[in-house]
Amino acid sequence: MVRATFFCVHNGDSFSQYSCSAEFTLQEKQSYTEGRLSTLIFRQREVHSIGGCSMNTKIKTVNLIALVSACLLMVSCGQDEPAMPELSFEEDLQQQLIQAQAGDVINIPAGTHEITRSLSLNVSGVTIRGAGMDSSILSFKNQIQGAEGLLVSANDFVIEDLAIEDTVGDAIKINDSNNVTVRRVRTEWTGGALTSNGAYGIYPVQCNNVLIDGAVAIGASDAGIYVGQSSQIIVRNSRAEYNVAGIEIENSTYADVHDNIATNNTGGILVFDLPNLPVQGGRNTRVFDNQIFENNTPNFAPEGNIVGTVPAGTGLMVLANDNIEVFGNDFIDNDSVNILIVSYLITEIPLNDPNYDPFPESIFIHNNQFRGGGEVPDSEPLAALQAATGQPIPDVVWDGLLTEDNQAADILCLTQNGDASFVNLDAGNGFAAPSFDAGQHECALPRLSVISLSSNNQ
Amino acid sequence: MKEIILRSLLVSALSLFLFACSDSDPVFHDAERPLRLSDWNLYALSTDELVPSEASLVFKPANQLFTDYAHKMRSLWMPDGAQAQLVDGEIDYPIGTVISKTFYYPRNAQGQFEKSVDSGLERVDLTQNQLIETRLLVRKESGWDAFPYVWNDEQSEAFLRIAGTSKAVELVSDAGDLDFVYFVPNENQCSGCHTTSHPDGDMQPLGAIASELNSKFSTTADNLEFQTERLLSRGWLDVIPNRMETKSWLDESNSMEERAQAYLNIHCGHCHNPNGAADTSGLILNGAHSININMGVCKPPVAAGGGAGNLLYSIVPGEPDQSILLYRMQSVEPDEMMPELGRSLIHTEGIELISRWIAEMPGTC
Repeated sequence: MVRATFFCVHNGDSFSQYSCSAEFTLQEKQSYTEGRLSTLIFRQREVHSIGGCSMNTKIKTVNLIALVSACLLMVSCGQDEPAMPELSFEEDLQQQLIQAQAGDVINIPAGTHEITRSLSLNVSGVTIRGAGMDSSILSFKNQIQGAEGLLVSANDFVIEDLAIEDTVGDAIKINDSNNVTVRRVRTEWTGGALTSNGAYGIYPVQCNNVLIDGAVAIGASDAGIYVGQSSQIIVRNSRAEYNVAGIEIENSTYADVHDNIATNNTGGILVFDLPNLPVQGGRNTRVFDNQIFENNTPNFAPEGNIVGTVPAGTGLMVLANDNIEVFGNDFIDNDSVNILIVSYLITEIPLNDPNYDPFPESIFIHNNQFRGGGEVPDSEPLAALQAATGQPIPDVVWDGLLTEDNQAADILCLTQNGDASFVNLDAGNGFAAPSFDAGQHECALPRLSVISLSSNNQ
Repeated sequence: MKEIILRSLLVSALSLFLFACSDSDPVFHDAERPLRLSDWNLYALSTDELVPSEASLVFKPANQLFTDYAHKMRSLWMPDGAQAQLVDGEIDYPIGTVISKTFYYPRNAQGQFEKSVDSGLERVDLTQNQLIETRLLVRKESGWDAFPYVWNDEQSEAFLRIAGTSKAVELVSDAGDLDFVYFVPNENQCSGCHTTSHPDGDMQPLGAIASELNSKFSTTADNLEFQTERLLSRGWLDVIPNRMETKSWLDESNSMEERAQAYLNIHCGHCHNPNGAADTSGLILNGAHSININMGVCKPPVAAGGGAGNLLYSIVPGEPDQSILLYRMQSVEPDEMMPELGRSLIHTEGIELISRWIAEMPGTC
């Protein structure tokens, strides 16, 4: 596409001595190639925009009279034509994101591109595509504006094959969007696990149909991959490392989290339901075939955040969520506890939400492998338990809190987990009489169905 | 032949000359997106003055958003014969309406930008002030559209910058110099605030709305009628809204509660409302609630990250220093500060107000 800018110079006193010149620019480049235009001969084929002469309509054939008149007009008004500003890489990219139309692919070329302000996309049906998560890098190391690296509010959105590094806040936030695909994207804070890192790496919230596939999330001070208040979700083939929470599904329904690697986080995978949010009642999540090992990084979340309560060394933590199926996972050497099932009440945060159910229910844990773990618990009740027994913390820990209407088996069923050990912490009685007997939990629950996303997530 | 063409060019040039250089009415562009502000003909611009077209109405909302102490001149214009309707108590503007807001800083004798109170000028003296940007909200057939124009240093033209821009600013104030980066929003950021119902709502004006215009504004002080009445008398509005004068947070005769609510509404309510982009947080600050957990009282943060400032609740009654709300107002870190957009500096006067309000609030967490 060619853009042209025309301007005229007053060469002398008589009218015929104005000369007009044209500047052409290819839209892909922001560099101008200047060319002189003689008064009457004009060879340009197609002109999309004539900025300099105040004409903005797309015209196929150049209307010379209007054109030159407009040029003369500026001279007549006695003003030199003010120069159009040039755009930086990031301004050009943001401009592409604003002007995009459904079906467009916005390419991020290989290289490290410094971005100082949040980027945003509000147009549905757009793909942002790099040349690979290690070659196309948007670096926000010197970001001075915006709470995110990229903020998206658009349906049928795809982002793939690029990296977003060192944003001051969240790396990619996708708000209120349907059919979201994040594929082979890396979000990383390159300075390691620091409290000053942004909260979330990949952060869809209030979305339907979310696919996160082959992503890498490193260094988030809250959650590397965080899907909140959403429904119909798949997180797979991804790696989460050195985050407070590796992968977190929060206040969401119908999620499959599988074939991921969660390691070196404070907590590997979290499935939470929290009060006082517009979307709550989190349920129906399957966590399967994941490698969840050595999630022993000290908790570096800023204080006051709910993930700040996650003990360092947690493999999987389920908080107040219902209908969770956990199977085929390898839990290895998570130093506090491999699996932790708790009520919101355990946080001791005052609860003021009549519509909220603080208890987990129907948690089905089967056919998992456990090795090591529980040897250095980072939690007062767990440390006390270890001190009393002289043994590592059991593989599966339940706080033991439930309503009067429920039995132990309504909360948690355990089957075919090898020689996995179990404890009920008896938190309701001040941890007075922990029970290691899994007998009440030997039961099975109906398998949950496979999540299938809309065909737009392809 | 050549002579004939040149003559015809001269004629058309002269006609355009008359059109653009006289003080004629603003022009509504529906399909086009003019790259230059002058194409809208909203102002008469000379080397020493920017004057809104006489066909426009200069207005000022009861509550103004803080933008790094920039001064603002706002104008409203409707095409001939067009009239806004009052629909469910709100002004529904006709197609062709153009609302403009020009941001500028006063300059002192040394040419430095100076922090001062915005008295609400109806024209800008360019020898005393520096124009920064002019934002347009234009009511098109398809709904409102936003256009951010940025002035050149010579103040001779403002160019459309849909991706926004930034500008280093040094502002001289009694409390010392304020060095900061002034941000012109990109078009998405315009809609980030002006789309109050997220994500499917349309952009809406935030200042030229019924509640904010139900207030008095005049630079001459002798014509203190409600601005909605001025719209009516111009024939630009069919009926005036039936409501009380809108409280301003600046008016110290209002109660602390009224002032705080007015301040939070204009600065936070466009996102923190039950349908807004920030409803994910569960914190509602558009005045829809009395003091309770939805307004932040004893409400734990959800996804605030470092923005929580190691504090436990949005608002702790009696303890402004323990309140995340105030912490985020006092921050200039991009991932912590609130509002997220529209400021690089902290708003000392707003912080004083909210701090006093929380300090006087009864109760505990």
